[in-house]
Amino acid sequence: MPQFPTAATLRPLLGHRLVIVSGKGGTGKTSVAAALALAGASAGKRVLVAEVGRDEHLPRVLAPGSPPVGYAGRELRPRLSAMRIDPYAALGEYLGLQLRVRSAVELVLRNRAFRQLMDASPGWRELITLGKVWHLEQMRDAQGAPRFDLLVVDAPATGHGISFLDVPRVVVSAVRSGPLRRNAELVEEMIADQNRTLLLPVALAEELPARETVELVAKVRGELRIALDRIVVNALTARPFPPGLEELDAQLARIPPEPGWPNLPLPRVVAACAAHLRSRYELNRVYVAEIARATGLPVVPLPFLPSGIRGLEDLRRLGEPLLATHVAEAA
Amino acid sequence: MLHKRIVACVGSGGVGKTTLAAALGLEAARRGRRALVLTIDPARRLADALGIGALGNQPEAIPADTLAALGITGRGTLHAMMLDIKRSFDDLVERFAESPETRELIFKNRIYQHVSDALAGSAEYSAMEKVFELSERPEYDVIVVDTPPSQHALDFLEAPQRLLDFLDSRLVQLLLHPAFAAGRFGFRLFQRSAQRVLQLLERVSGFAFLEELSEFLLAFEGMSEGFRERARRVRALLLGEESAFVLAAGPSVEGVGHAALLLTRLEAAGVPLAGVIVNRVRTWPGGGEPPARIAEGAEEPAALRALEQALATCCGVGYPAPEAARAALAALRTYASLVRSDTEAIAPLRANAQARGLFWRRVPEQSRDVHDLEGVSRVAAALVDPAEEIRSG
Repeated sequence: MPQFPTAATLRPLLGHRLVIVSGKGGTGKTSVAAALALAGASAGKRVLVAEVGRDEHLPRVLAPGSPPVGYAGRELRPRLSAMRIDPYAALGEYLGLQLRVRSAVELVLRNRAFRQLMDASPGWRELITLGKVWHLEQMRDAQGAPRFDLLVVDAPATGHGISFLDVPRVVVSAVRSGPLRRNAELVEEMIADQNRTLLLPVALAEELPARETVELVAKVRGELRIALDRIVVNALTARPFPPGLEELDAQLARIPPEPGWPNLPLPRVVAACAAHLRSRYELNRVYVAEIARATGLPVVPLPFLPSGIRGLEDLRRLGEPLLATHVAEAA
Repeated sequence: MLHKRIVACVGSGGVGKTTLAAALGLEAARRGRRALVLTIDPARRLADALGIGALGNQPEAIPADTLAALGITGRGTLHAMMLDIKRSFDDLVERFAESPETRELIFKNRIYQHVSDALAGSAEYSAMEKVFELSERPEYDVIVVDTPPSQHALDFLEAPQRLLDFLDSRLVQLLLHPAFAAGRFGFRLFQRSAQRVLQLLERVSGFAFLEELSEFLLAFEGMSEGFRERARRVRALLLGEESAFVLAAGPSVEGVGHAALLLTRLEAAGVPLAGVIVNRVRTWPGGGEPPARIAEGAEEPAALRALEQALATCCGVGYPAPEAARAALAALRTYASLVRSDTEAIAPLRANAQARGLFWRRVPEQSRDVHDLEGVSRVAAALVDPAEEIRSG
């Protein structure tokens, strides 16, 4: 029987070098990645947060109004840099390092047939993206210290997010020898290093995201070698009524429609609003408990922010509970 | 829209596409059509409710008495099916492989084993292929498709072409028939540069990898004619008169942003868009907008007194009516602010849809997860309820 970490033994999130934030679309994964990066920078760490994909979302939340950061990346706030890992840009950089001849790299990248081949080929985007992460992790400053104390990667949505981490292993098992295999081995080693790397899944306490999270944890334990010690459950509806008044909505529903009251919506509207909040709250509780039970992992609860992430203040509201090391087993 | 042959639901992950697809299918059945709902990755309990809990990769009928319990008693029927991507792709190989030997070669190839479900766009390709296959069957009037959750929702349209471009590409041709290609095109400049690219690729990736890739491609190449014809017809069907696309969105600012981006891309791709559905919108009980004075917190003492009195009367002695009244007012205010933030978030999308002449629907958030046909039926009712239209105006 494997020992799952309990609430008391959770390592501080900021103690890892590389945190890969994963989750299904709509779970608020990008906000969690941004909140973690901001919290790390506020704690004095040199942080790089990287997103993967066609569109950029991080600059908008971390430094509203700032232009795209692109592959080159930029320091958005003190100690906090952001970049978007574009697979073709990473491929160009990689080929440059391998071939050492700029004109050869240009020839390859501009070749139409090569683009067609790459557009349809599986796996390389994931591998090159992770290769870039490895490269960033290896970077050292003039004093020989790591260039970044914390790397936060906003992984592609789950499903894709798992195969993303799976690719180096597939390459290692499918390719017998050669530089590709050696590079994949380095990436795999980084991912599997429990002291460096942590997978941080972000879930919602609803049926489908909860199920996906449980499946992700099972798959990670079965096939991937990557540390996983907690589940972030985002957007939880706050307890709607104080203790002792749990049935308030039912009591409100008993109020007769007549004579009504001044300055308030109809009694049944008041009751319906209360009932709605309570049902969301209870639905969340059911699935938080389910995630904790099915995975055996501590759950880090994050509050629902009704107006979404509008700025740094909202990110800080997520950052504080995110860094908590003492969390309830089932919130 | 439900008189079309194909109705495709597109949108980012997590917006409830499967539920909406099921609701559209149910509504089609209610209107007397023989509907099939094709889903990719339904929530377990919804799958169970639709009778597709097991991976059959074949349509399953919703029993007539189940439909009758929902008031569907006409000639309409409802089938549901969960797509098994890996199996669909294997089926494709089965169908198009030139010979049993080729088929075995493909199934045994290590690259195929590892990547057949990750081969660029294979999920999207399999889904669309299945739609095409089913559309040729006479037993369904309408097929409602829940498209794969992909980062770029157009993948399902572009995937077949990308697969073909791949097989056609000169690099692949070189990998497959180096001697033949050299003899035929050897004197041409682009061919020389392709050769050069291949050499560089070999230096970077290693010979073993190229060898494995070449074996895989060789086995696949024979199938490309079959693929090509199929892909052309799938595309023609989806972009043609017989199809309609519905864009599903979530009510958050982020969700609406994604949807707007997608809307532009779908339009640019020439997709026959019919409408936009925003799912799980928090709406004010009984319709309309939350009264402004609630949000502003005005008239609090009078409202509190009234609530307190009503609760004391209903709940009797010993009930902490003052505390309950404060909690009730707080709940009212909280919910009102949620309704307002959703309303504000979706307003630009609504304007966008109307400017494009698309239909627009809001589906109110259900108080619990939709995991049975009753729930699906409620969503369907919201989809056809024109009152939603008037209220949101």
